[in-house]
Amino acid sequence: MRRTPFSTLTKLVLLAFFLVAVVLPLARMLANLGDTDGIAIISSPRFAKALTNSLLVSLTATLISLAIASLLAWAVTRTGLPGKRIWPILFTLPMLIPSISHGMGLVVLFGANGFLTNLLHLGGSIYGFGGIVTGSVLYSFPVAFLMISDVLRYEDATPYEAADVLGIPKLRQFTAITLPYLRKPMIAAVFTVFTLIVTDYGVPLMIGGQCITLPVMMYQDVVGLLDFGKGSVIGLVLLVPALIAFVIDLINRDRGNAGFVLKAFALRRNLRRDIFAVLVSVLVGLFVLLPIGAFVVLTFVSHYPNDLTLTLGNISRAFGMKAGTYLLNSLIIATAVALIGCTVSFVVAYFTARTRGRLSRTLHLFSIVSLAIPGLVLGLSFVLFFKGTLLYGTLAILVLANMMHFFSSPYLMIYNTLGKLNANFEAVGASLGVSRAAIVRDVLLPQSRLTLVEMFTYFFVNSMMTISAVSFLANSATRPISLMIPSFEATMMLECAAFVSLLILAVNLALSGIMGIVKKVMAEGARAPERTLRLEAST
Amino acid sequence: MESVDKDGAAGAPIDKLVVSGISKSFGSDGVLDDISFGVLDGEFLSILGASGCGKTTLLRIIIGLEFQDTGSIFKDGVDISRTPPSKRGMGIVFQNYALFENMTVLRNVEYALLRNHVARDEARRRATVLLERVGLTEHADKRPHALSGGQQQRVAIARTLAMNPDMILLDEPMSALDVDTRLALRGELKAIQREFGTTVIYVTHDQEEAFALSDRIMVMYRGVIQQLDTPDALIDHPANEYVRSFVADNIQIKIDSLLPYARSDS
Repeated sequence: MRRTPFSTLTKLVLLAFFLVAVVLPLARMLANLGDTDGIAIISSPRFAKALTNSLLVSLTATLISLAIASLLAWAVTRTGLPGKRIWPILFTLPMLIPSISHGMGLVVLFGANGFLTNLLHLGGSIYGFGGIVTGSVLYSFPVAFLMISDVLRYEDATPYEAADVLGIPKLRQFTAITLPYLRKPMIAAVFTVFTLIVTDYGVPLMIGGQCITLPVMMYQDVVGLLDFGKGSVIGLVLLVPALIAFVIDLINRDRGNAGFVLKAFALRRNLRRDIFAVLVSVLVGLFVLLPIGAFVVLTFVSHYPNDLTLTLGNISRAFGMKAGTYLLNSLIIATAVALIGCTVSFVVAYFTARTRGRLSRTLHLFSIVSLAIPGLVLGLSFVLFFKGTLLYGTLAILVLANMMHFFSSPYLMIYNTLGKLNANFEAVGASLGVSRAAIVRDVLLPQSRLTLVEMFTYFFVNSMMTISAVSFLANSATRPISLMIPSFEATMMLECAAFVSLLILAVNLALSGIMGIVKKVMAEGARAPERTLRLEAST
Repeated sequence: MESVDKDGAAGAPIDKLVVSGISKSFGSDGVLDDISFGVLDGEFLSILGASGCGKTTLLRIIIGLEFQDTGSIFKDGVDISRTPPSKRGMGIVFQNYALFENMTVLRNVEYALLRNHVARDEARRRATVLLERVGLTEHADKRPHALSGGQQQRVAIARTLAMNPDMILLDEPMSALDVDTRLALRGELKAIQREFGTTVIYVTHDQEEAFALSDRIMVMYRGVIQQLDTPDALIDHPANEYVRSFVADNIQIKIDSLLPYARSDS
């Protein structure tokens, strides 16, 4: 295919965009290291402690998260668990709340004056290592659950049937068939979850107590002490595990198209297995719902545990502190990130998935590399790079930061979709006198609609709840509502923080619900005979 | 569209297409080496070769989706080497048809007309006529995936014919189909060619298919033409050992495939 100058030009523009929005800010942060004694910071005992804490917490939480996720994925795909449509929604509920809320949920339940502490007369303290691990598991297991259950759902039953016929025992089947099949997805899940946890500061900030992790240290140095140099050093260190995870994931990634199911699993009756599945699901369901329930109680009760009268006072207090304005900020940011993010990632993926050449490959690399940049690091880079420009202090920079922070996952979704569509559409167009642009609009875009809806949801939901990339960038006018949670917590206004968490959950639930309906309508529309297609014949 | 008959000239057969000295390499890999041949008007010519012999690249160069490093292509005596694909008066049908899944069968056929500024009514009329001629009228409002492989191929051909080409290039159009459908479609393909009077270049790795369909067959190996001749001549006078061994299987197949027809004919 002849590469038109226009498409080369577009690719160069996109490359320049990535340069300004990711590469140069990061370079600026690295340049910042020059004035700082990095060795002194890294060799300080406080840093060593934080590093150890981070690694221990992340490793432990990753293992537990994976174990729970695998168990749930098994329950949903391989047992007679009733209500199979409901459970996945429940299990992924934690993905709609900021991580910091999960930390707060645990404080509210198990803290010094927590619901369950009082109810069950628990001793001991939730603050510290155990608390961080529990909170991290709570918000990271849904990600692993989605990844693993997807893989299990599309597993072929034929090898197992062959093994049954040959009389191979179940345990041997598990080690010889299941484990090799799950190896790659498991590695991917491990690194995704590990990166998620090791770069998060929401949970450890809330519940860490004396157990300081690297992201918390970075947050305190930058926000509390305005020590950008030190922040940059820690940011650089935080990049390392994320980059390692990124590279391993890249090598590990399955290149082949996901196989289609030759034969679905036939469920045999097994009451004990099903009861076990129900027990596990109910237990995890409670684990998910308890904090949310606690938020509801906190929000609508005057002052737990001293004054249990029902009230809307907490809500009006939150709105008195401009929760309404910040909610509006968040809605604007999330909508803009979703709209612009979908557009940019579609255009980029169009070139990387459907045109060849070195520029396409470079663009692809830039697009997935943001996966490896922790939000805090990206935020700090943005502060250092954009300070003094017109963009700084506006909603626009928050939109840009979030968009780049969350870019790679939706980008990969649309990259896969566009890559799977017939490679000859543009060639057909060329032979029929139809331009590439028209093929994009009339053929590729309509066939990517479902993916675009999923991408929109991903961008929106994550932008609604993130506190990482935006924490250094927001000011009192542009602040998104998620950032009210740490400030409410800092001023001991847990009731308002609980309300804000619920508000974010409600918005995200509503959006997910609407998008679910949109997808359903679209899927039905694709099956039904075509109704209208906008095709104007200009004569 | 209605009449594409060109049997007025009764003289010597004219070359519809002349390919002259085409070479192409991707990086250091030579794909095509000095390819020259002619295609007669109304002819069914197959390019036969194992995968990787350069036949698909040659097809893409003929229609202009790929560019030759050297050499020229002439159609009706005019040099079209630098003409954009849509201006070459050729249509192409791909291996997997590349039908527009988001449009109905009718839309697939009229789409190119609408995009090329044909009035809506006229486009609809022409697409309807085409679907009738390839026998798909009752499927006009269905989506392509609801059709059988053979029907999808007919949609792809009708979509190509909408732009009124006098040559159709087919790139292994049968490889995705099962044996029974292939056999049935060979007859259909010939019937469509006869009805529209188009010149056809047919790329395949399947000797049997090439022998059953073609007026002439061009055998390629490693980017070089081994022999261009009628099916019978290929069997009786193979130009070299490669051609001989490549078509040898077909002598047996030829006899086998004649048997069912012999019976039904009697």
